[in-house]
Amino acid sequence: MTERIAALKRYQWDKRHHAFRVKEAPDASGYQRTGLPDYERTALRLKASLEAEAPVLLPGELIAFTRTVPALPMIYTKQEWEDIRKKHTIHENGNVCNLSPDYAPVIASGLLALRDKLTDAPYHRAMAKSIDAVLDLTGRYHQEALKAGDMALAKVLARVPAHGARSFREALQSLRVLHFAMWCEGNYHNTLGRFDQYMMPYLEADLKAGNITQDGAFELLEAFFLACNRDSDLYPGMQQGDNGQSMVLGGITPEGKDGFNLLSEMCLKACQDLKLIDPKINLRVSSQTPLEVFELGTELTRLGLGFPQYENDDVAIPGLMRLGYEEQDARDYAVAACWEFIIPGKGMDVPNIGALSFAEVVSDALKEALPDAASMKEVTQAVEAVIFARVSELAGSFGSLYIIPSPFMSLFFEGCLDKGRDISLGCKYNNYGFHGTGLATAADMLAAVEKAVFEEGLPVPVLFAALEEDFKGYEALRDTLRYDSPKMGNDDDKADRYAVGLLDMFSRAVEGHRNERGGIFRAGTGSAMYYVWHGSELGATPDGRRKGEPLPANYSPSLNVRLNGPLSLIKSFTKPDLSRVINGGPLTIEFSDTVFRNEEAIRKVAQLVMMFIRLGGHQLQLNTVNRDQLLDAQEHPGRHRDLIVRVWGWSGYFVELDKCYQDHIISRTELGV
Amino acid sequence: MGGEKGIIFDIKEFAVYDGPGIRTTVFMKGCPLRCRWCHNPEGLSKEPQMLTPKEGPPRLSGREWDAGELAGRLLKDRDFYDMSGGGVTFSGGEPLWQWPFVREVVSRLEGVHTAVETSGHVPDDVFEEAMNAFNLVIMDIKTMDEKTHRAFTGSGNALALSHARALCDGDTPFIIRLPLIPGVNDSLENMEAVADLLEGAKKLLRVEMLPYHQTAGAKHKMAGLVYDPGFDTFRDPRARIEPFELLGIPVKTL
Repeated sequence: MTERIAALKRYQWDKRHHAFRVKEAPDASGYQRTGLPDYERTALRLKASLEAEAPVLLPGELIAFTRTVPALPMIYTKQEWEDIRKKHTIHENGNVCNLSPDYAPVIASGLLALRDKLTDAPYHRAMAKSIDAVLDLTGRYHQEALKAGDMALAKVLARVPAHGARSFREALQSLRVLHFAMWCEGNYHNTLGRFDQYMMPYLEADLKAGNITQDGAFELLEAFFLACNRDSDLYPGMQQGDNGQSMVLGGITPEGKDGFNLLSEMCLKACQDLKLIDPKINLRVSSQTPLEVFELGTELTRLGLGFPQYENDDVAIPGLMRLGYEEQDARDYAVAACWEFIIPGKGMDVPNIGALSFAEVVSDALKEALPDAASMKEVTQAVEAVIFARVSELAGSFGSLYIIPSPFMSLFFEGCLDKGRDISLGCKYNNYGFHGTGLATAADMLAAVEKAVFEEGLPVPVLFAALEEDFKGYEALRDTLRYDSPKMGNDDDKADRYAVGLLDMFSRAVEGHRNERGGIFRAGTGSAMYYVWHGSELGATPDGRRKGEPLPANYSPSLNVRLNGPLSLIKSFTKPDLSRVINGGPLTIEFSDTVFRNEEAIRKVAQLVMMFIRLGGHQLQLNTVNRDQLLDAQEHPGRHRDLIVRVWGWSGYFVELDKCYQDHIISRTELGV
Repeated sequence: MGGEKGIIFDIKEFAVYDGPGIRTTVFMKGCPLRCRWCHNPEGLSKEPQMLTPKEGPPRLSGREWDAGELAGRLLKDRDFYDMSGGGVTFSGGEPLWQWPFVREVVSRLEGVHTAVETSGHVPDDVFEEAMNAFNLVIMDIKTMDEKTHRAFTGSGNALALSHARALCDGDTPFIIRLPLIPGVNDSLENMEAVADLLEGAKKLLRVEMLPYHQTAGAKHKMAGLVYDPGFDTFRDPRARIEPFELLGIPVKTL
């Protein structure tokens, strides 16, 4: 880290730039007007938001743009929005989110080249207005740079994003402005996509021409990463840290070549150097990936950053193709805010539109079928019927989806400009995705029922009474169910085969359903925050779980079970055909930080990841935690401001999380290696 | 299945400190020594016993396995061992105290790298056989001083030291481990004596120092034992590596 970067990091860490933030909201009266089309309102709001911004240059910064007016009033009045909500399905807060914009062509050609293509059509005028607003603020930043005597920055801002970038620095600054403007348009979970692929040509050309040294490029890269941490506290999703600034590195290119390059490696090293939560790194790998790449990733794991998350090309690409994604697009996949596979510039998928609670489904099926079931086969048939019914019901419940339009964001998506059609209305891919929460708990429930009821003769009324009483008075039974029954994660087919079966049912159940946009439904293994909701709603379960006890996050073993260790865990969790549940959702393994006391551990953990990939795992995410430190951080947050943890699909600062998420992370450490 | 039977108290997957590559370590129950810093008290008694954890019900520690069953359990993860140059390590307790069982398991692990973590406190014929059976021997030397050894482990060190010499003269790759106990064995003289003993050993890979950890007593209560180590547990032990470096012996502090 150069002195300049160290100073800037300290400046941001101390939140000194927060002093420039103002409370006043931009004036909404200009766009909250009846009679104005929605896209027009969004463009006017972007204009108002960017006009309210005052250019701020932080000391020594190389990549400019800092948000100073965080407030962003809605494009609708309260009443209007209430009326819309009554008539439509509204996803999350109603804005365009969780997409992977295709930055490459915009960085290459500049915004003015796009503007030249626009006609006088009303929608195109909204796009033009948006471009003008972005360029206007850039112009004011340019003036500010001149005033400050920073000629280098002024030169860059005179060029981009109006025109095409010609250097690595211009490309980074262009990306910064474009990304910045997306937030100001009201979009969120704005991801960074395959950064190493679309940025490498600029770096390569600069290095080749001798315009820059590798050290110089590394400093610029770190400056850009710092910029990603500058305003991200203003963009929380469900929790602080859940800002969706994911970045994808490596993986094969649309043409089928290995995409891991010099810049991929530099990005991993910059994260190692900076130790910040953004950008959140996803590393695309395959059975062809050399061990050194896994070792670079493991260096980040050792630091406890909670990333990289690994994605397996061998599973994801065929899985996406099976769902109808074209081969070139499937090869170009990126990752949304957490783990959802999306296609840059082509996907308007909503991968988190709903969730199937496996634990609830199994619980319901047991209540219905167990009293009369003569065999486990009858039980699993009942489970299948419930899954199909629940999925049907879910698939039919998202009619008349309305998303607030985003003309500026639409510039980054295939066909939007040409057709004058906003991204919120759809793109090449318009699929919806379902999470599948509590899979391991559901499998454990079925395995426990098989053992206790069908093998050992526990009367069903006794089991139901115990569940009804939340095991009060049935403590011995609870211990048996909890500690002496097969558990998913121990490479025990008695539990694992139910997980295989449940995922198979889920993937078959979504087949044939179509959404109103012509897209299909994708089944997944993720949980997002549903693990907390579904867990708190669910009564006691036959795996010995008490009422309200949380479900595991994502694709992970149940909490508070005794596990054999990571080898068995990986064996268990690679048994299902994961290419069929490619909405995504990673296996999470927690390591105690003592694992890394040994230098050899880097290689060993890297080999473990490699094996997961070879065995057909789809996504893996590793945490390094120190339980005592977490407990101390709950007690004394001030001492642990920089403690980073992975939550359900993103890294955040532990002390900024709600207590229920903190507690969940602490209980996960029980499973630690 | 069938074959010899043995008592095991734990099988730990992905044991990163017990030899090369990705390994699974088998913890054999029963130990002839009573080291006062022991951090695996459930490994002392040869018999299965109840442990009472802070949370959850009491559980039985130690169960009987037969050699074929254990070999099957270990071989299921052979793909991990093979791709990483790893294998299986036997630890304890003192694994060589159940040598006929361990020997049979090892013989069923054909082609898998095997290692043993031993105190060396076993009969000569067992140690000699074991040296030939394993790909790697990891042996403890607690202290070179007979009196201290007796005071803190309950036994003298002559047997262990003679086996350390056998390793130095033998053909089996080995690692010597020194648990560093504050005020007991972390003196320069002790390190010098160990280094002298090891000087010139052809197959010595390295010396590993294991500084005493304050969590050593964490499991005693669970096993119904009182942790009374008899030394200053709050003082950090000194890792004196100079004597080894002087003789060109690789040394590493874990």
